[in-house]
Amino acid sequence: MDVLDLARLQFALTGSLHFLFVALTLGLAPLVAIMHTRWVRSGNPLHEHMTRFWGQIYVINYALGIVTGLVMEFQFGLSWSGLSHYAGDVFGAPLAMETLVAFFLESTFLGLWIFGWHRLPKALHLACIWIVTLTAYGSAFYIMIGNAFLQNPVGSVVRGDHMELTDFGALMSNSALVGAFPHVIGAGLAAGGFVMMGASAYQLLRRTAYLEFFTKSLRTGVVVAAIGVVVAVGSGYAQFGLVQEDKFEANTGAAVGLGFMMLIGELLQLVVVFLLLPTVYWLPRWRWTHPILIIMTPLPFLAAVFGWMAREIGRQPWMIWERLTVADAMSPGLTSGMVTTSLIGFTGVLGLLAVVDYVLIARAVRRGPEDLALGAWPRTPAPAPVRLEV
Amino acid sequence: MEVVWLLAFAVLLAGYFALEGFDLGVGLLMAGRPQERRDRMVAAMAPYVLANEVWLVAVAGVLFGAFPVLEGEVIFALYPFVVSMLLGWIVRDAGLWFRRRIEGRAWRGFWDLMISLGSFVLAFGWGMVIGSVAGLPWIAGLGLGALTTALFAFHGRTFLAWREGRGGGRVLALSGLAAAAPVVVLLAAVAPHLLDHAAPAATLNVLSLMVAPFAPLMVGAQVWVWRTFRPGKGSDRIPSFF
Repeated sequence: MDVLDLARLQFALTGSLHFLFVALTLGLAPLVAIMHTRWVRSGNPLHEHMTRFWGQIYVINYALGIVTGLVMEFQFGLSWSGLSHYAGDVFGAPLAMETLVAFFLESTFLGLWIFGWHRLPKALHLACIWIVTLTAYGSAFYIMIGNAFLQNPVGSVVRGDHMELTDFGALMSNSALVGAFPHVIGAGLAAGGFVMMGASAYQLLRRTAYLEFFTKSLRTGVVVAAIGVVVAVGSGYAQFGLVQEDKFEANTGAAVGLGFMMLIGELLQLVVVFLLLPTVYWLPRWRWTHPILIIMTPLPFLAAVFGWMAREIGRQPWMIWERLTVADAMSPGLTSGMVTTSLIGFTGVLGLLAVVDYVLIARAVRRGPEDLALGAWPRTPAPAPVRLEV
Repeated sequence: MEVVWLLAFAVLLAGYFALEGFDLGVGLLMAGRPQERRDRMVAAMAPYVLANEVWLVAVAGVLFGAFPVLEGEVIFALYPFVVSMLLGWIVRDAGLWFRRRIEGRAWRGFWDLMISLGSFVLAFGWGMVIGSVAGLPWIAGLGLGALTTALFAFHGRTFLAWREGRGGGRVLALSGLAAAAPVVVLLAAVAPHLLDHAAPAATLNVLSLMVAPFAPLMVGAQVWVWRTFRPGKGSDRIPSFF
């Protein structure tokens, strides 16, 4: 492989890994926020347990979202400085909004939410998880503005050897964005719904002591998965009228990604909408269905990675469609040795951590809502010595 | 408008040193301590870490949005530093996140070692980066690496003292200034170069317009973190997630 292939491979691997965790973040964040809202309104301990259990899974998953995201952010400078040189005046703005505003707020408020248990007033603590959810969606929106610009460079002009921003509004209403953003959100919700479904099915199959908890969670998972799959498939088809016609014909990789994604998407839609949703009331009691639900859990994640393959390989050989090639976007002076070293470092470390993170998530699912670290109660202080006055 | 964005860049980078400096310092000081002490040290910094480390993410964002040409040049020029410091950052964060997820001395001991190792790579790396950007010979970079490591460790110490009710806030503020001093000197030296490479007015105006409505919330959230987790209030009785 030459240096360009290596740099592309590095971005593809870290990007795919990043999205596996980000998709679940997007899916679980609103669910945890809704559970937390119900807990604050009802005071019901069941809702508290649901908030803490699914919140803990959300937070464990978030760790890898952060660290893979850091590598993504700096990779633009490491491998693709030609992109910021040529189009930084345009592409930099949405990326700056994502990191400077959306992620800044998301991270700060997530810290307040995780460590604010028993410290913050109830309503303010609740506000934290809603801000985390909104800013997570804000992050996805800004990243998709940047990505859509690469697919379809609107709102800008080429002046001399670089591009300049002329109309940010055009970037926000890009035809490569309006279908793709709901598509990504749908994929995220599907991922969240399927994880909730699979985890609940596992607990129910094992005759959990928390029957009501996982019965409700399984039903929520099915409904959210159905919403997610319908939104993802619907906005997926809607995009066919908007993408460049020759995108999938010239690129085998993109066509393969597209084909498998559609295959999984349609299978999931069939199963969730026509089989699971109508039987959602009885599903928690039908134990024979639970192994099937568990086995299906990775499918939306697989579809998501195939979807990114279709979109990103479909853009080849362009970094910015018909403006800048990927080869020209590569940092001048980048050598095979440099990319190989960082590729081994990043994929080795992130790959290992991803495996550890999934083991920890699986372990948290197996243990159920007992002894949760998130929101653990304060240790009662040792009783003060009582001096008896006689 | 260039000046506003230069100031934003400088404040965020200096703020990162003054804030994340003590997290890295605590990470350095954890090395070789018994587990019970390490648990208390992590619990002391835990509520601040997410709010602090994100300042550097914001620095990179400003670099990309307001000084895009420099973003590519600077990060590429610092290639080996950026790669090793990213790896250090990753294992430090993973250590914090994972250390309590499984009970057991060996598991926690391993991730605590990763926290110390990652903190050291970042602390020492920053000194080398400053030396490299300033164009100093590598031997001076090593010296600066030792300096930033020592400053961060000292800052971590004053933070722990403040958090555990053994020291004042004023000392903490002073050690924060000391931790940020090397990068402030560098910023003063490279300011004209940054101004020359700012994005065109159209980009900066759009960026300012979009960031401005959120700026009060961003500042407010940071202030709120410091108010919520100030020492006392029985904060040591709430078990830390990290």
